[in-house]
Amino acid sequence: MSATYLRLEIVRMFRNPRFAIFSIAFPALLFLLQASLFATGKDTDVIVQVLMVNLMAFGVYFAAMSNGARLAVERAAGWQRQLRLTPLSGRAYLAGKGLSGLLLALPALLLVPAVALAFKGVELDAGSWTRILVGIWLGSIPFILLGLLVGQLSRPETLQPVNMSISLIMGFLGGLWIPIDGMPDWLREIAPVLPSYWLTQLGRGAVTSDLTESLPVTLAVLAAWTVGLGVLVIWRYRKDSSRA
Amino acid sequence: MSNETTSGAPAVELRGVRKHYGEVAAVDGIDLSIRVGEVVALLGPNGAGKSTAIDMILGLSGPDAGSVAVFGRAPTEAVADGAIGAMLQNGTLLDDLTVAETIGLVASLHRSPMPVEQVMRRTGVEDLAKRRANRLSGGQQQRVRFAIALVSDPSLLILDEPTAAMDPAARRDFWKAIYEDTAHGRTVLFATHYLEEAEEFADRVVLMRSGKIVADGPVAQVRAAASGRTIRAVVPGAGEEALGALPAVTACELREQRVRLSSSDSDATLRALLERFPAARDIEIASAGLEDAFLSLTAEPETTR
Repeated sequence: MSATYLRLEIVRMFRNPRFAIFSIAFPALLFLLQASLFATGKDTDVIVQVLMVNLMAFGVYFAAMSNGARLAVERAAGWQRQLRLTPLSGRAYLAGKGLSGLLLALPALLLVPAVALAFKGVELDAGSWTRILVGIWLGSIPFILLGLLVGQLSRPETLQPVNMSISLIMGFLGGLWIPIDGMPDWLREIAPVLPSYWLTQLGRGAVTSDLTESLPVTLAVLAAWTVGLGVLVIWRYRKDSSRA
Repeated sequence: MSNETTSGAPAVELRGVRKHYGEVAAVDGIDLSIRVGEVVALLGPNGAGKSTAIDMILGLSGPDAGSVAVFGRAPTEAVADGAIGAMLQNGTLLDDLTVAETIGLVASLHRSPMPVEQVMRRTGVEDLAKRRANRLSGGQQQRVRFAIALVSDPSLLILDEPTAAMDPAARRDFWKAIYEDTAHGRTVLFATHYLEEAEEFADRVVLMRSGKIVADGPVAQVRAAASGRTIRAVVPGAGEEALGALPAVTACELREQRVRLSSSDSDATLRALLERFPAARDIEIASAGLEDAFLSLTAEPETTR
């Protein structure tokens, strides 16, 4: 893998208006909207902070899924076969996609808190900021793998509806778009089934102790998702390359 | 050329290669050896196994039986060394990169690529450097893909129906670029549907049908193998038996004094004819085009498919 290759992977994504809008602008705007609507009355600080970590998680999630979606397009375009005629190994190709997923998560990861600082005056200590930023960033790894898996399994035509369905489920049921505080009890029971619930928990634990899971449990659950999805991505990769 | 080759090894060597997809034998036992520096055309109807054979030479898939070597090494090793460049069939480019970026990206993955500017100049895509792939014509896209195939300065260039999407003028320009390039001693294997391309640019033609190689040789020889040439002449006093006994004659027709001979080697037939029948006159020799050779050699024996 070369620096040029990685740089162009990132450049390509920023040329995609869908990515720029949904992964960068949308989470920041949705944060401002929700903060204005819901942060009324007492304890607005915590509500704003919870909304902030949720929408950071959403931005990172969306970047991860958009990153993986390119696999389907590149396979359909014959680009993967073309790359197999270079010294770039299949493993390095996947590793490059993983790395670009991490880098593409950064704009949303940084813009939402920047907006929160600038417009809502969020105040947190260094330890909390570190946990939120590093936690959500690295917490995007299972979602990067999920994005790659969807990209491996989809054709370009089926990609949009599949990703949209997953986003709706993760967004509404997993607590990215609606904070779990606002969920009815039965929904709050279901939410932990989804990995997005645990992604928001990484940040939530740093701003409140209400409705939180312990950090070790959160890390263990996300690690399990990472291993499970990683195994599926590698299995699919092996199947793809032996068939071609 | 940047890639040293194992001395003496052929550029491509296939031995007893078979590849099945389910019940279908896409490649059904082929032997093929291509010497360094040869320009070989691979002809055959759709489904003949051309692309399957090419995939195995490129190491994109492995044979079920037999062996494949490129410059005496496994294809994947040759690919990793940048010794093979290829234009694959149905390949497209990425719409979100410019031409210069695309070529630069592939160059950056190779160990000792040609300078990107040089590749763009050679393939005539300099003027398109800043354009995105979706703003290119079919012919321009193929030239960019040719540039990608060339950027590692490969010793072996493989082109799978490179001119399929081009109009005649673009096709001519494309082959001109290839022709200038191969003057440097590159080995080229190209699959094509266009017989004139094979006749004009290849040293050697390999014909495939139903997964087998049905003819392999210089263009002239392959043509002869199918229907040869036809000699027409007026030969006073000739008998059908004597004419049929001339060397290389495959069929003979005699009406009055007019003779029509089909020959697999018209030179030999004609020399013998003139020796035996010095009075022969009004001699015409017609060559069956490669098109006829192609049709007769690749026609299915039965019409069940």
